[in-house]
Amino acid sequence: MAYQQNVNVAIIGAGPAGIGVALGLAKQGVKSILLIERQEKIGGIPSLYKKKDSSIRTFLNLCRGRILFGEEYVNRLNKKLIKSEVEILLESKVLDISPKKNKLSLVNPDKGKFTIEANGIVLACGARENTLMELGWIKGSRPGNIFFSKSLLELLDQHAILPLRKPVIIGSDLNAFAAAAKLKRSSASNANIIENKRTSKTSFPKRFYFNLFNSKPNFHGNIESVKIVGKHSASAVELSNGKILDCDGIVLCGDLIPNSELALENNLKVEVPSRKPVIGSDYQLSEPGWFVAGNMLGDGFNGAEWCYYNGLRVAKKVVHYLNSGK
Amino acid sequence: MKDDSNSQGKILYSWDGDGIKDELRFKKTTQLNKEPYDIIIIGAGVVGCALAFKLSLYKLRILLVDKNYDVGEGTSKGSSAIIHTGFDAPVGTLESQLVTKASKLWPQLAKNLKIPFEECGAVLVAIDDEQYNQLDKIHQKSLDNGISDVNILSSEQVKELVPDVNPDVRGGMFIPRESIIDPFSISIAFSEVALTNGVDILLGSEIVDVENPDGEIKNLITAKGQKLATKMIVNVAGLGTSKITEKYDGEFFDINPRRGQFIIFDKISRNAVKRILLPIPTAQTKGVLVIPTIFGNILAGPTAEDFPLDDQTATDTTIDGLQAMIQGASRLYPPLKDLPRIGTYAGIRCACKQGTYQIRYNDGSKNILTVSGIRSTGVTSSPALAEYLIDGLAKNCGLKLTKNPNTVDSRPESSFPSWWKRPFHINNLIKKRPDYGRIICNCEDVSQGEIVDAINSPLRPFTLDAIKRRTMARTGRCQGFDCTIKITELISEYHNIPINKITKNGPGSEILNG
Repeated sequence: MAYQQNVNVAIIGAGPAGIGVALGLAKQGVKSILLIERQEKIGGIPSLYKKKDSSIRTFLNLCRGRILFGEEYVNRLNKKLIKSEVEILLESKVLDISPKKNKLSLVNPDKGKFTIEANGIVLACGARENTLMELGWIKGSRPGNIFFSKSLLELLDQHAILPLRKPVIIGSDLNAFAAAAKLKRSSASNANIIENKRTSKTSFPKRFYFNLFNSKPNFHGNIESVKIVGKHSASAVELSNGKILDCDGIVLCGDLIPNSELALENNLKVEVPSRKPVIGSDYQLSEPGWFVAGNMLGDGFNGAEWCYYNGLRVAKKVVHYLNSGK
Repeated sequence: MKDDSNSQGKILYSWDGDGIKDELRFKKTTQLNKEPYDIIIIGAGVVGCALAFKLSLYKLRILLVDKNYDVGEGTSKGSSAIIHTGFDAPVGTLESQLVTKASKLWPQLAKNLKIPFEECGAVLVAIDDEQYNQLDKIHQKSLDNGISDVNILSSEQVKELVPDVNPDVRGGMFIPRESIIDPFSISIAFSEVALTNGVDILLGSEIVDVENPDGEIKNLITAKGQKLATKMIVNVAGLGTSKITEKYDGEFFDINPRRGQFIIFDKISRNAVKRILLPIPTAQTKGVLVIPTIFGNILAGPTAEDFPLDDQTATDTTIDGLQAMIQGASRLYPPLKDLPRIGTYAGIRCACKQGTYQIRYNDGSKNILTVSGIRSTGVTSSPALAEYLIDGLAKNCGLKLTKNPNTVDSRPESSFPSWWKRPFHINNLIKKRPDYGRIICNCEDVSQGEIVDAINSPLRPFTLDAIKRRTMARTGRCQGFDCTIKITELISEYHNIPINKITKNGPGSEILNG
């Protein structure tokens, strides 16, 4: 018989939103809370923003109006977690869920395959960037030096490797301007930011913040399509307006898409193609006892602090559900 | 001649720069066989690898050489992943004979070689009158090709086999033995067994010249000027064949890449289409296939667009091409137009103006075999084609065939716990190897253990694409958002190569320009 654990509430994903849910529940006296994370450490995307001189603080990691390095923000949350009675399960991947049975099937290096049953389950699985295919307006070759902003963070902040010096960035949300600034700080040239909408998705004051770090990306709006040139390694992009921009790598900072596949594959209602989970007013998914929090809601891009506070709000709804005796 | 002992062959890579372990680096020809080889096979695509595998069962010294940095990295990697029965092949051709024969070999061969394979069957779908009127003709062609286990279907029967098929369907035909396969594992499995049986494999070495082609000992010259001596040459270099033919005065032929673009749909739709859906070609269009993959996705494709030889853009994908695929595919199966898509690829077939399956023994010079025009059926026909070529080499070039009893014809089960399903499904395996429980690629649920196994596998692969084809990591819906850097780290750590030297598919494709 495989290992099975019963808990009161299981939370999938230990990014700021999942941590927010866990701490919110603990604060309201809920016992037996399990926080499940597939990576080897908690914190999600913000934990990749390391505190170091060569890096910059970005808006992605606001904390009550202060701008922190992501790592600092996660450390603060971690201190609160240590004091709480929340149990944390690392390197544990949820393979499957059974919405009707309130069951999760998982695998980790320690237990192998195992199951968890819970009265309430919160999905806080975050979001990822759209791929070239999902963006739909990128064509041409598919070389190696195309990066998601997450890979860029891992390389710049963890490995201290600058993977590209003449960046082209596709997409113009806050992530894109943050990536341009981080690259500039690491001695890359000013980025070319390409957007298929007419104007930048990031507002002027936020863009201006990055000017403080001498990052002055060139914005190319209204671009209907981009063709990537270079068989093994991207060497340029051709824009639909005829411009050719030389580059030595491309960063995708496109729209986010929620990691809602567990829900979608197991008949919890999800909108297609946006992949937004269908929720009621109380953050509840289409089966009772199942909730969603953070960037997985699919409301576009939100920073660490927003996700954390959203997690606290979701925790209240979960408590209400547990107390209503359903 | 090779002795009876079963000594493993050598795997070497010609590689500029630091991105390689020294023990795998090809520096000088003395690292290879001291005597001239009995046969050098140029081209480690699916046909070259199948030939190396079948020849490795005999007492012969063989070298398999390719310009790419993994086997099966040219035209072989971008196929429709179907094992055809050959029901619609041109009747009486060599192609038809070999495809028909090979389709019967595959079920057992896939088991022996640990290649994921499923006999899912195919449904030929007639949507309009023009297509419907062709059904009888196609049925007859199938019978003429010796494929008699096919049935004509009424529209109701089609709807039963394929729920949600286009409601206008007029009828169809069921071909039960059309199958799907893991296309990447084919070249890999063939070459791994060949290596075990003593075949040497040299990758990253382009052959640019042939010295002394008429002599008993011929020298192949690599792009770096190294000489590879051999008694016999088999040129199966796919789209590179004709350039080498010129060097030994082989008969002229015209080849060019014919592009086929495909769309890959998300696994969310895995249960939507369980059988291959085949269109019926009309005067206007050849039609688009809808294919379930062995990995749980659905493919739609291909296009057929001709390009000049050496056109670097031949494997680009285009927005128009992809829209045509979606349109064509949703004509067979309407729900496809709303299913999430995760990726695109463009495969190329080797189109030959002189016809398909061009096989020329003693081509221009004695003991040189040229094989070309193996178009999209090469994946299917490869095992039968290899046997056919070996017979031909014996008859036409006097190749001496003595079975070597110390050889194997299968891959070991033990080294591929995941050849069919992920290792965490196997009880208690994670107790022995906890790294099978550490998931790295979260879309395809590929564990660190499987990636380490791939890195340690016989060809010692160290490019991201080679690891991808052995594990399916990075092929899922996020296309490497989550795991690319982790996999790069693992390759870097296990091969002891600096992380910024890791490439996608060989020198010049370093993912980090830092």
